[in-house]
Amino acid sequence: MSLAFDVLLALSLIWSGVRCLSVERLDRAIVLFIAFGLLMALAWARLAAPDIGLAEAAIGAGLTGALLLDAWGALKRRRP
Amino acid sequence: MNSIDLAIALFLLGNLVVALVAAARGPTAADRMLMALLFGSTGTGILVLLAQAMGMPTLVDVALLLALLAAIGGVAFAKRAWQGDGHD
Amino acid sequence: MIDAIGTLLPIVGALFYAAGTLGLLRFPDVYSRLHALAKADNLGLGCVLLGLALQAEDLAVSLKLLLIWPLALAASSAVSYAIARRAAHLGVKPWRRDSP
Repeated sequence: MSLAFDVLLALSLIWSGVRCLSVERLDRAIVLFIAFGLLMALAWARLAAPDIGLAEAAIGAGLTGALLLDAWGALKRRRP
Repeated sequence: MNSIDLAIALFLLGNLVVALVAAARGPTAADRMLMALLFGSTGTGILVLLAQAMGMPTLVDVALLLALLAAIGGVAFAKRAWQGDGHD
Repeated sequence: MIDAIGTLLPIVGALFYAAGTLGLLRFPDVYSRLHALAKADNLGLGCVLLGLALQAEDLAVSLKLLLIWPLALAASSAVSYAIARRAAHLGVKPWRRDSP
């Protein structure tokens, strides 16, 4: 059971990372980046490192996602 | 008890992966953002289940932080990023 | 009895999560997807948290688990309100049966 969890987590992590870098549109890349941060936080939790998971959930999934969304909105406002 | 919790966490992770694949090809920007919100609530559930299954109560703090910060992303999307222009 | 309830509640919660994901994938417009996401998922989270709080050995851990739920409810309702208000402001029409 735990092996299945780890394999599914690793595969989805790799898939979301590759898609985040290869997708063309910025908004899709941002959502995939948020998803990648959350899956990475889950991976750190699974590796029994709750402190790094805490930092990853705060920085990767939360604050950087919000900052990127804000920057995307500012870009769209600048050149309509 | 622990293996049941891990099985539920695996089920929720499967849920999350299905939503992720749908989010990558979702029709509008708002739908993709709703997927990100789904990641917030489902990730909180997975983290508390992992905290019980691995016997690590510290992971509950990570879940608490995730529940808070998923909301910040959603509000940033609604207030700053979503400009409309044809609901792309 | 407490143990049985504590084992059963997370399973019920997982079913609510599945219902929320299904609604998010199948519903036709933003408002109904928002409704599936905000209600079903947070009820699932509440069931999981209550079941795990019954399973936990330590009282402090149980209380912390139960503290997550009102926080998640407040955060989710605030985000749902912001997104739905923005969608209405941008002129997204609610889905009707006779509309295409």
